[in-house]
Amino acid sequence: MDTSHLAEHAGTAGALFASIFVVATTTMRTMIPLRIFGILANVVLFLTAIPAHNYLVMLVQSVMCFVNSYRLHQMLQLVRDVKKSVNSDLSMDWLKPFMTERNCSAGEMLFYKDEKAEEMLYIVSGKFKLVESGIVFPVGAIVGELGMLSPSKVRTQSLECIEAGLVLSVSYSKVEELYVQNPAFGFYFLRLSSARLFQNLETLQKQLTQLTAASAPKPA
Amino acid sequence: MSDRGILSSLRYLFADVIGDDDAPTPFFPEGLPEAVVPVASHAIHMLIEYQGTSYAQLYVDRLKRFVGRRGFDDAVFAEIARLMAARMSYEDPIRIAQLTLATLEDSPAPVNEVKKFRIDELVGALPAIAAEPVLDTLEWLGWLRLPVSIRFSTASRWGIRRLKIEAGLKRWRLFSVRYLKERGWVERWLHMIDRSLTKQPAAAPAIVQTAEMITGYGDPYRQGMADWNAIIDGLVKPTFDGVLDLTDLGAAVAEARAAVLPDPRQAALKRKIAEIRARAPAEPNA
Repeated sequence: MDTSHLAEHAGTAGALFASIFVVATTTMRTMIPLRIFGILANVVLFLTAIPAHNYLVMLVQSVMCFVNSYRLHQMLQLVRDVKKSVNSDLSMDWLKPFMTERNCSAGEMLFYKDEKAEEMLYIVSGKFKLVESGIVFPVGAIVGELGMLSPSKVRTQSLECIEAGLVLSVSYSKVEELYVQNPAFGFYFLRLSSARLFQNLETLQKQLTQLTAASAPKPA
Repeated sequence: MSDRGILSSLRYLFADVIGDDDAPTPFFPEGLPEAVVPVASHAIHMLIEYQGTSYAQLYVDRLKRFVGRRGFDDAVFAEIARLMAARMSYEDPIRIAQLTLATLEDSPAPVNEVKKFRIDELVGALPAIAAEPVLDTLEWLGWLRLPVSIRFSTASRWGIRRLKIEAGLKRWRLFSVRYLKERGWVERWLHMIDRSLTKQPAAAPAIVQTAEMITGYGDPYRQGMADWNAIIDGLVKPTFDGVLDLTDLGAAVAEARAAVLPDPRQAALKRKIAEIRARAPAEPNA
């Protein structure tokens, strides 16, 4: 019995069905639903290519499915990490996969006071000092994370490398991209940034209280 | 969506590729002294023509840092405005093509000049993503300092067409290796002025004037840059860091600048810097 016409019909029906997913994918506004629908479209297109033995389409859809799955995993992981960070130590370690390495030699200036701020930095090794205040950052510190949210977007101090080391950097535009692509990430990122700001305020308040107590006249 | 809306969306999407800059023309910063206004006005127009309105806005933002600052007069501020505009419009092959094309409007006589660059200077004017692998390869081959002569001519239609193509590369200038270096230099110069206003206001005019050391392109540019770095690293920065105790930094900088010669080894300059450092008291005031 000739079954070729059945394969042909199955192929046409499958292609129509897949088209619905392709159209649906293009209507998604945010990254996670877009990836999920992308994966579904890849699976349906792969299945419709089987009866016709269209190996090229099968290969292309497999590769696309792998890329979509990997990106989806990255996004979900990011949301999970930011959420975890909000509820624990307020660290920004979750940004590391999106950062690029930069080696710095002693004496090199990473940025100057009043310069337009365009990226945040994570110190991996070496010693880095704020020139104006003399504060030395410990390994693991994040520099410039609040600059992205400040209206002026300028550096308030200069950062100098005083002992050769490695920093990771990520541009504000990259974080903005993640923010726009993924509303859940955006929400937790805002909560995290606010929590870090409040933490800074608390530290300053403590310092002020200590200073006030120290300068208060002692009873005779 | 209207055609205008679609077009504006497309222009926004490809803004980086087509070099579209829809930022408004920048205004003078509030409180800018009268003496600085003509210089700043000229600079803004020149930088819009050089690169675009966003770039002119960067110039205005940099000027803002000095508005209302104490410790220096309006004449020094005007010098900052003038010299910063000069350094922000650095002479790369794209700029020379722009300037050569501008002569078409001013004079009927055609221009036909050959300029000498180094190959890294030419490649460095391209976007970093394309330039970096080429520069790495040239370095590996030992050809990084190869001299290259380029003709800038308005004598023929082909010459003018070529100049227009070269000038059109300005849309990618801000992604170039050279721009990153120039941006770093301007920020360092401004940082040194800022520190001098805090630590030694009397030395600020001399530090502002050091920008005059860097001009042109090719060998004179590189020599000027090397000399400037030698003076800043040898005298200015150590003084601000409290490592060196130069009570009259302005005079020390002027003395070092007087020793500058067109010598790639910088022998006289290095000797003079060592001499000035040796004269400074052993115990810094830091």
